[in-house]
Amino acid sequence: MIAEMPRDEVAIQGGPLPEILLPTNCPGCGIALSLDELRAHNYVCTECGHHFRLGADVWVPLIADQGSWLERWTDVRSHDLLNWTVPKRYQQTVETLLEEGLNEAVRTGTCTLAKKPIWLAAFDFGFVGGTLSIVAGERLARGMEQAASTGTPYVLVSASGGARMQEGVLALMQLAKVNAAVGRLHDAGVPFFSVLTDPTFGGTAASLALLGDINIAEPGAAIGFTGPRVIKQATYADLPPGFQSAEFQLAHGQVDVVVPRTELRPLLAHLLEMYS
Amino acid sequence: MSVWEIVELARHPDRPYSLDYIRRLAPDFIELHGDRLAADDPALVGGVGTWHRRTTMFLGHQKGRSLKERVGRNWGMMHPEGYRKALRLAHHAAKFGFPIVSLIDTPGAYPGAGAEERGIAAAIAQAIMEWFRIPVPIVAAVIGEGGSGGALGMGVADRVIMLENSIYSVASPEAAASIVWRDNSRKVEAAEQLQLTSREIVGMGVVEEVVPEPKGSASADYDAAARALDDALYRHMKPLLDEPSSQLLQHRYDRFRYIDSLIRAEPHFGPKID
Repeated sequence: MIAEMPRDEVAIQGGPLPEILLPTNCPGCGIALSLDELRAHNYVCTECGHHFRLGADVWVPLIADQGSWLERWTDVRSHDLLNWTVPKRYQQTVETLLEEGLNEAVRTGTCTLAKKPIWLAAFDFGFVGGTLSIVAGERLARGMEQAASTGTPYVLVSASGGARMQEGVLALMQLAKVNAAVGRLHDAGVPFFSVLTDPTFGGTAASLALLGDINIAEPGAAIGFTGPRVIKQATYADLPPGFQSAEFQLAHGQVDVVVPRTELRPLLAHLLEMYS
Repeated sequence: MSVWEIVELARHPDRPYSLDYIRRLAPDFIELHGDRLAADDPALVGGVGTWHRRTTMFLGHQKGRSLKERVGRNWGMMHPEGYRKALRLAHHAAKFGFPIVSLIDTPGAYPGAGAEERGIAAAIAQAIMEWFRIPVPIVAAVIGEGGSGGALGMGVADRVIMLENSIYSVASPEAAASIVWRDNSRKVEAAEQLQLTSREIVGMGVVEEVVPEPKGSASADYDAAARALDDALYRHMKPLLDEPSSQLLQHRYDRFRYIDSLIRAEPHFGPKID
């Protein structure tokens, strides 16, 4: 079937993006930044293509058709399970972040993308480094199970440091929990498009983020298992420039495509047509 | 005993390693090598042996005892090839209907540039997902260190047990200290916070049983430790041998899908998830 909607007719964002905190100059090229211009350009520097990190609150309107987002399981909260007190009480960390308006490291729900229904999950790096927690794992697994049973394509946007230390071995177990659910998606023949953004590491890379039917990475995003600081500490190796970049992962066979954020939504729309 | 003393016992250089147990459980063990793609990872041993009158697939992280062997075994830290070998042998076991015993003893997957270049993250991810599709019974035991994703990559099973003085953790105490404080010398504090001892892990409902070690720990008496492990492994394996594979896989899915249910049922854990 010939795709009904040419890629260039799909808007690069589903609706207007909220404002984010930006430095005055681009860390990529040093040019003075204009918020309005960047915001209309998916927060990609118009000069050098530097991709600014986005929270889930920006990813949702970027991907979802305006007004289509129906968020699920927002009232589930993380709690301190291990009586974690150092360097800060975990309970305090979580409560402060909630007060700041963040709602856990993963937010998920249903929406449409160019009128096609999808399940969407977006990591929020601002919430304890986007770390996989019990709540994050639960939201991911539930969404995937529902996507599998309803045959709805699943789109993931990851930005995560890995599993959350403060939830101990139960955070580690989330890798198994979500991967079991990824298996359900695969068994159901439901397409799973995984968008890897800067940074995606540790238990998140070693679980769902690299198991997409199509792995899509943003230019320059750092993606890997062990972070460069720990590699250097453990092996005294000199790491070459570009080590663990999206382009490095493309060259090493781990991602299918590296796509600028300004082409992401049209690409996803096109894939949804081809895989429906 | 302090938490750090348990960590030191779990890592003790005299502690029995996977092959010490496997050769006692199945004296006719034949080691099988290689991932059939590129390499053989010596940090992960695998092979077949007769255990309770049944051909069984054994897999285990393997550390070395002499310095030379430790280097050769890469301190029990697997490369991507190890996870691919494990999956090859798991599919082999499934083909012939052999149950699988997996012994876990690793500080973590290898944190090196080569492992990254050859896709360690995806190798672990793939392994964790594939274990849920292997239609034969799997029992895993943490016999020393259960470190991070490198351990979980070998730890998706129908039952998981831990030796008394073993540890299981989201990250090694050193890595956790490095992540939390950017200072890996604060490993003792990190170990205490992580709740990584067998007693704590079984209390969270993450493993089914803690297997007591002989007086003076497993290092003091390999034979007695192996008998205790053998007994516990088989007690968990036996009922699985008669389960239809579809039921086995559903239960394995549920085991991990609801593994945090003990915690989630706690009244202080926010609104209950459905």
